[in-house]
Amino acid sequence: MLQKKQCVAMLLAGGQGSRLGILTRHTAKPAIPFGGKYRIIDFPVSNCTNSGIDVVGVLTQYRPLELNAYIGSGTPWDLDKNTGGIFVLPPYSTGKDGEWYKGTANSIYQNMAFIEQYNPDYVLVLSGDHIYKMDYSEMLAYHIEQEATATIAVRQVPWEETHRFGIMNTDENGVITEFEEKPANAKSNNASMGVYVFTWEKLRSHLIADENDPNSNNDFGRNIIPNMLSQNEKLVAYTFDGYWMDVGTIDSLWEANMDLLKDPPPINLHDRKWRIYARNVGRPPGYLGEKAEVSNSLVAEGSDVNGIVENSVLSGGVIVEEGAKIYDSVLMPGAIVRSGAVLNKAIIGENSVIEADAVIGEKDAEIAVIGNNTVIPQGHKVAPGAQEGK
Amino acid sequence: MKKNLAGLIYTGEKTDRLRELTVMRSVAALPVLGRYRLIDFLLSNMVNSGIKNIGIILQSNYQSLLDQIGSGREWDLHGKRSGMTLLPPFATTDSSNSYTGLLDALKSNMNFLRRNEERYMAVSESSFLYSLYYEDMLKFHLDNNSDITLAYTKDRDVRRHGTGRYLDLDDAGVVNNIEVDPSLPRYGNTYIGVFLMRRELLIDMVDRATSQGLHHFTREMLVKSLARGYTKIMGYELASKPFYIDTVGAYYNANMAALEPEMRKSFFNPERPVWTKLRDEMPTHYSSDSKVSNSLVADGCIIEGEVEDSIIFRGVTVRKGAKIKGCIVMQDSIIARGAQIENCILDKQITVRENAKLSATPSYPFVIPKNLTI
Repeated sequence: MLQKKQCVAMLLAGGQGSRLGILTRHTAKPAIPFGGKYRIIDFPVSNCTNSGIDVVGVLTQYRPLELNAYIGSGTPWDLDKNTGGIFVLPPYSTGKDGEWYKGTANSIYQNMAFIEQYNPDYVLVLSGDHIYKMDYSEMLAYHIEQEATATIAVRQVPWEETHRFGIMNTDENGVITEFEEKPANAKSNNASMGVYVFTWEKLRSHLIADENDPNSNNDFGRNIIPNMLSQNEKLVAYTFDGYWMDVGTIDSLWEANMDLLKDPPPINLHDRKWRIYARNVGRPPGYLGEKAEVSNSLVAEGSDVNGIVENSVLSGGVIVEEGAKIYDSVLMPGAIVRSGAVLNKAIIGENSVIEADAVIGEKDAEIAVIGNNTVIPQGHKVAPGAQEGK
Repeated sequence: MKKNLAGLIYTGEKTDRLRELTVMRSVAALPVLGRYRLIDFLLSNMVNSGIKNIGIILQSNYQSLLDQIGSGREWDLHGKRSGMTLLPPFATTDSSNSYTGLLDALKSNMNFLRRNEERYMAVSESSFLYSLYYEDMLKFHLDNNSDITLAYTKDRDVRRHGTGRYLDLDDAGVVNNIEVDPSLPRYGNTYIGVFLMRRELLIDMVDRATSQGLHHFTREMLVKSLARGYTKIMGYELASKPFYIDTVGAYYNANMAALEPEMRKSFFNPERPVWTKLRDEMPTHYSSDSKVSNSLVADGCIIEGEVEDSIIFRGVTVRKGAKIKGCIVMQDSIIARGAQIENCILDKQITVRENAKLSATPSYPFVIPKNLTI
């Protein structure tokens, strides 16, 4: 057995992210670039580092190559440790019955041996598709103080949106009395953020019971949490009032990028006490040329801008030629926009090239999306809401 | 692939003419080109050429240099079979704790030279900002059966009256003569303080030179060995323009050169990235009031004012109505509203107060020393 850890984090990163369409066709969702220099996974993993959690298991399944390469040995997040670290945990074969992860709970079940190496008291379960800064150590302290079996982070959402979320109904002490998945008529507006702390001993027995139930979907929200409630385990809600965004759709991914441009931004990434770490790519400073007109935008290092850029996020290595115009758009690393091209409310995938005079999207219309490594020919038009690319 | 070449970087240059910029740091630790220190280029040149074993000779004022290189991880120099060896000055029976020059430093670090397994050794001083492919230089060295190969440039901007080392080369590139610190350089080839030779030969030559009471690597050791005619010294011409960082003006010009697209191409080849210590800053935000042209801007800045022809390091804030032209602004400086600065070098963590005005000429830029509020 390895050195005992109080808490081990397990990051669910195996989902396909099909709602992100062409962007996740070749890439797992947590590896999608965000905010000019990050990938989505940088947020939960940096939160772990900043919260003092130094064992992180990343459960991968779908298109893991880019994600694996990105995580590497965990150096960017200070997680290359002798006594811990970040570990990519793909599904594996066990001789007679190797299998894919059947659900979120099953993915943890299949990696119980990984968790037990550290003999933890608690397990933190996270999702790989949320943008937020959260101190998990405070949530863990609350869990310990409440002597709960599970603590579920919740945030208050507008009442008219409650039908889109898993809603936690609580008593006056914050103890969860009922869980409703996407209710038509919600009794509370406490929506689950997909961040859970479990007392490991309890979770362990629930995972084993769940695995033995042939009718289970092996899912935390649909099976584990309702079963814990029905067995009168103590589940408590932990209210988080900071910025949190599920970037699982094209709209929300675009919107979360645009949030960084607000004054002041609802999530402060300049915060030196809570850095979001990302892998180093060794790019020079950004260059803004004589003809550059950049306004209310983020421009990352390695970019070379000579055109008009408004309300947009430009990632590392992006090139904007003279005469190109970019409005309300998100450009992922290495994208090139040639002279005369016009982008309006677009997301451009990594290393894609928008040739001269091409027109992508329309102002205030649906978001147009160009996939990775795609060339949009000269003068070509991509309609709002369309997705083009490989 | 395994290369038979080790590296050594000497950071003990005398720095009087860089004034305030090097009071608290060595030349190698000078912040350059928006997010680097000079040592990043020296190290990255070597690492990108496949050199995996690098010693760094430290002299005085090396705290900021140590802070920059850390464990060497950013350059992948933290391995088991390879890595970075820091060689701080130390007192022995035959040397005091400060090196008089490169030769003295080499002599004091004989153990490092002996302990390496690589057959060849590339040694770089740290007063030039340059890019060099050492694998090409090694090939040149071997193809020409050279004993010592010196890197040089024909570029005229690095020539100085009274300082510098100039090479007289024949048509084949063989060094016939070397002049050191002439008041008027006669030869058109400037040695940039980078040489490559067989490690055993270096050990032997340093040992013999110091035992004969010599102190200067180039002026005495190289010149003497040329005169004796035993060693074949070759000149290897740099493929791109180097910059001699010996005065405030030269430092300023080297940075400003990076605003030229051609120079950026030669400094920043995407296949040979310049690695540096990370700060994990978010991308720079340009507000709707900002106006930025012909400038290099690193991550983590907030730009609300006007920036023209400038180099802006990480974490700099330029408030609304502030105007910066022809400036180098080092990390974490704050330019308050309405301030105007022209042709200045702002060292780290400077605060320029509201409506303050500072103007110099490009030929003699002002230096504002670290941590000041003006």
